[in-house]
Amino acid sequence: MRIVHYVNQFYAGLGGEEAAGSGPRVLDGTVGPGRLLAQLLGDAHQIVATIVCGDDYAASTDAAAAELLEMTRDAGAELLVAGPAFGSGRYGLACARLVAAAQAAGLPALAAMHPDNPGLTEAGAAPVVAAGATSRQMRPTLQTVAAAIEKLATGATLTVADGRVARAARTGRLVEQRAAARAVELVLRRLAGERDLTEVPIGGFDVVAPSAPVEAAASATIALVTEGAVVPAGNPDRLESARATRWLRYPIEGIDSLASGEWESVDGGFATTAANADPNRVLPLDAARTLEREGTIGRLHNEFLVTVGNGTPVATARRFGVEWAAELRKAGVQAAILTAT
Amino acid sequence: MSALRRIIHDVRSLKLGNATRYEQHQLVVGQDQVAALFADPALASVRVHTAVPGDRVRIIAPLDVVEPRSKGPGGGVFPGWIARVNRKRGGDTHVLRGAAVLAAGYLPRNQEGLIDMSGPAAERSPFGQTHNVVIEFDRADDASWQEAEVALRRGLLALAVHLADAAVDATPDAIEELAPPHRAGTSTGGLPRVGAITNLQTQGAFKDVFVYGRSMAGSLPTLFDPAEIEDGAVVSGQYGHPALRNPTYLHQNHPVIAELRARDGQDLCFAGVVLCPEPVQQADKELVSTHAAWLCRTAGFDAAIVTKEGAGNADNDLMLKVDALEADGLTAVALYAELSGADGTGPPLVAGPRRGAVVSTGNYDQRVKLPAVERAFGGTRLRIADAEATAAVEVPTAAILCALSPLGAGRLTCRSEQQLGATA
Repeated sequence: MRIVHYVNQFYAGLGGEEAAGSGPRVLDGTVGPGRLLAQLLGDAHQIVATIVCGDDYAASTDAAAAELLEMTRDAGAELLVAGPAFGSGRYGLACARLVAAAQAAGLPALAAMHPDNPGLTEAGAAPVVAAGATSRQMRPTLQTVAAAIEKLATGATLTVADGRVARAARTGRLVEQRAAARAVELVLRRLAGERDLTEVPIGGFDVVAPSAPVEAAASATIALVTEGAVVPAGNPDRLESARATRWLRYPIEGIDSLASGEWESVDGGFATTAANADPNRVLPLDAARTLEREGTIGRLHNEFLVTVGNGTPVATARRFGVEWAAELRKAGVQAAILTAT
Repeated sequence: MSALRRIIHDVRSLKLGNATRYEQHQLVVGQDQVAALFADPALASVRVHTAVPGDRVRIIAPLDVVEPRSKGPGGGVFPGWIARVNRKRGGDTHVLRGAAVLAAGYLPRNQEGLIDMSGPAAERSPFGQTHNVVIEFDRADDASWQEAEVALRRGLLALAVHLADAAVDATPDAIEELAPPHRAGTSTGGLPRVGAITNLQTQGAFKDVFVYGRSMAGSLPTLFDPAEIEDGAVVSGQYGHPALRNPTYLHQNHPVIAELRARDGQDLCFAGVVLCPEPVQQADKELVSTHAAWLCRTAGFDAAIVTKEGAGNADNDLMLKVDALEADGLTAVALYAELSGADGTGPPLVAGPRRGAVVSTGNYDQRVKLPAVERAFGGTRLRIADAEATAAVEVPTAAILCALSPLGAGRLTCRSEQQLGATA
């Protein structure tokens, strides 16, 4: 099979974060992890081209997946392989969106990433095989990928036995006993010694290590971002008040303060009376402008990013976080103030 | 703590009429009498409707729901609102089982929900299965929304008593004896002592729950007489997340208390109820959780079932309590609605305990297709679906009133299933 391989700027050797804003490009043959993958595949399959894109560009540009797919097709791909992205959020998102677009367009595609990668849910109908958490697992991960390619070449479907990440769906259903009765049952069984019984698995929460403090705030570009649903009055873009499916951006160039009546919070999760009397208390533009004038911060980023944090599924919230990080990096922002409600 | 008898009168049909009466399981609601009960300067007008199981009717933007109950001419239900607090108790409470009174319509902090009287939403809400007296209302021009809300709440409670008063002399369908919880230190014959911890939402206007007519905000957890809860000591003024709401009706019929009573003396001893606020600051959450655990231990609980109201903030209260209880050597189980996204593949918990166990009350995000209905009350449009109120719509389970009942009233749960032909 003719394989086109997708990697990010880092694995293509173009650079780290400083090159994350670079756009799509095609390289002949194998690059970085593609070399080992080609070795593992032997002569039966060829990696004919490598498509590369910076993580920030890929994760924050709407048309990126379409652009990359077109390049993949032009390179004559019979199969697209993306990653492995390991635990990297932006890279995972880029891989997932690309393989989803390819699979939807009829081009077989395969991605590899860690099962906890926030991009996983974006892979659509394309198969994803499990990668380790970091590149230290490069070899075993590529062995899984190579075996998966061999199997796909036979026309077979990948299964969990092939390392495919099974997206275990928690499906709602009506049962005989109401929840209160099930709770009593569960308490009694736990008291009787079945200590680990639970209907919902517990644990498994992310721990986010804070970044180092900004070295020189006086020369840094700072962004304001919020999940407090601050939007222009009348909510022209119809941001949801709960269960957000998207986020928005609004320019604040030349604005010193969010005037009541011109801006409002449409958050359905708290009483917005005080917020709407002074929207700066949810998105502290007035205070940030003061710090900017005083020289405490270098510059305030010229737009703010906003969504509503009210009943948002964790998977969606993680995706927003990855997209915002890419967006802000691309814009040259060094730090962000995230206000939550 | 007092014993209580529930005198049950089943309601099997409901209609509007000239004067309120109850006979042969039919409840007739006197329309002029209803109007008089809602006479308040804050309300310009009210309209009364009926919605019964099987009707092709949708109730948009439901507010509080109350079960009709009465203690007869001497009064006594809804202490702090209608009855005096700390009165001498009468032991009998008349219940119009199968009936409910509710208000529906726009209120600023009312997160829009719905009740369908037929179809899949009816199966998921306790109020798709009750004979409902529905109150639509118009606020008076010079009244604030807060004034209108208080008038509605008082009106609903008065209506609930008025309707049940009509059944006081009727022959009961059943009489249910409710024994008080077992005191700490009394012999249990080796059975574990299991109690309920009920978190009440306390986030200010339109997000508040009242105990004896006072907001629970700022209070420490307190041991509480379940007979008082039966008689309406806990009243809701909380209009957040419709599926995650605990209307007054569900406090009157507290599912966890009912299930603990059902097994009392068989495989457990019902140890009591602790009411807690859900404060909004982390330090207060920790204080309330630690204090609740201490109270349960001091009251001799071996285990507790912990419930909440709302989401986000409330999830943290729930989980901090589970952790505090387990750290104190008690066995804890929490009731929780999952937030795993429309396809159910995301992480189910937003906040979670380090130990303990969680019972699922369903997935907040799971979509449900609802057929068109013939009539709607409470509004002409369903804003969450951007559709006519009567239209066929697809909504998240989160929009169906009490479908994910944090008090455990519902029969929804979630199970893990492998997807995408992963095992094919």
